[in-house]
Amino acid sequence: MDQNRGNWYLLTGLILGLLMGIVYSWVISPISQVDTHPSLLRTDYKDIYRLLISRAYQANNNLPRAEARLNLIGDDEPALALAAQAQRFLAEGGDHEMAVILANLSAALQSREAAENPPVHPTGTAAATDSPENTEENGENNPDNPATSTQELVSSQTPPPTESPPFILQESLPICDPTLGESLVQIVATNGSGDGIPGVAIQISLGIDPIEIFYTGLKPELGLGYADFSAEPGLTYQVSFPDSGLIVPDVEVPACQNESDESYWGSWEIYITHP
Amino acid sequence: MSRWTLFFVVLLLGLGLGLLYGWVINPVSYQDTTLDSLRIDYKTDYTLMVAEVYHQSNDLDWAMNRLTLLKNESPLHTIEESLKFASQAEYTLPDMFLLRDLHNALKENN
Repeated sequence: MDQNRGNWYLLTGLILGLLMGIVYSWVISPISQVDTHPSLLRTDYKDIYRLLISRAYQANNNLPRAEARLNLIGDDEPALALAAQAQRFLAEGGDHEMAVILANLSAALQSREAAENPPVHPTGTAAATDSPENTEENGENNPDNPATSTQELVSSQTPPPTESPPFILQESLPICDPTLGESLVQIVATNGSGDGIPGVAIQISLGIDPIEIFYTGLKPELGLGYADFSAEPGLTYQVSFPDSGLIVPDVEVPACQNESDESYWGSWEIYITHP
Repeated sequence: MSRWTLFFVVLLLGLGLGLLYGWVINPVSYQDTTLDSLRIDYKTDYTLMVAEVYHQSNDLDWAMNRLTLLKNESPLHTIEESLKFASQAEYTLPDMFLLRDLHNALKENN
C-alpha cells in the first residue's frame, strides 16, 4: 500500500512549503514599505503632493523645478492632472484659492508647451526666447537651481489676473450645437492677441444670489481661457467677472431644433477680451 | 529516515524557496503608499517645498500640519532630518537657508 503511494508525499510537502512561504512573504510579513517613490503614493497623497508643488511654484515661480517635481508623481500629462484635480477640488466644495493655485501651475505648463510648439500655437518672439535649448541651459531638470532666467520668462507668460487690465465684452450669444450634448454657458477669455487667459474668476448668479464661482483654465484641453457651466433650461442667469466689474445679464439657453425637427436645448457663448 | 522526517525536510525546503521568491525574487509591488514611506531624498524635497511656501506665507501652523503628514516624532525632528540630508547632498545655499528658517521658526515655537 505504502509502496503504491510512491514519493508523492515529498511533492506535497514541497508545494505546501512553497505556498506557506509565499503567503508569509506576500501577506503576513511583506517587505516593509520604506524608501518608496512619489509615483507609488496613494491617490489622496498624490493630490497633497501636487497641491504642495503648486503652492511651492506660487511661492518661488520656478517652473523647471515644479516640472521636475511633478514628473516624480508619474502622471502622463501633469498639466491635465493638475487641472483635473482643480476641478475635483471645486466640485467637492474645496477652497477656491487652492483650485486657482493648481490651475495656475497647469496653465504655466500649458503655456510653456505652447511656446515650445510654434506650429500649434505660433507666438512669435516668445517662442524664440523660450527655446528648449535655453531652458536646458537654465537647469530645466535641475530642482536644485532655483534662480533661472526661465523663471522670469514664465512669470511674464502667466501674469496673475489681478495685474491684467479689465475685460470688456466681445460677444455674448445663444448657440445651437447638438454636438455639445448638454446645455452649457461657455466663456472664453482672451488677451489682445487672442491668447487664452487662465485664472479669470467668473461668478454665475440667479437673480442676486451667486450660485457658483469658477475659473478659466480648468479645462486646458479646451483652451487656457475656456470655462463652462452646466445651465438649466428655463432659468435666466447673470454672468459676472468680479475682477473686471463686467456683468453679462439675461443669459438663457435657447430652444433649438436639429435637422430632423427635434427640439433640444442649446447653449450660450460669452467672449471677453482685453481692450 | 522516516517518511514524516523526509516530509518535513521537504516542507522546510519549500518554505525557504517560497520566502526567497516572495521576499527577493518577486517581492510585493507597492502601490498606494503614504508620505511617511518616501525615501529620505523625496522627504527632504517635500520638506523643502513646505519651507518654500512658509517663506512666502509665514503660516507656521500650515507648515507644521504638512510636516506632520511625514509622521516623524515631530515636525521639528522632520526638519532636522531634512537639514542633515540636505547638507550631505549639498543642496544649494538658498535652499539650505529656507530649510534653516523653517527649522528656526519651529524651534522657537516649541
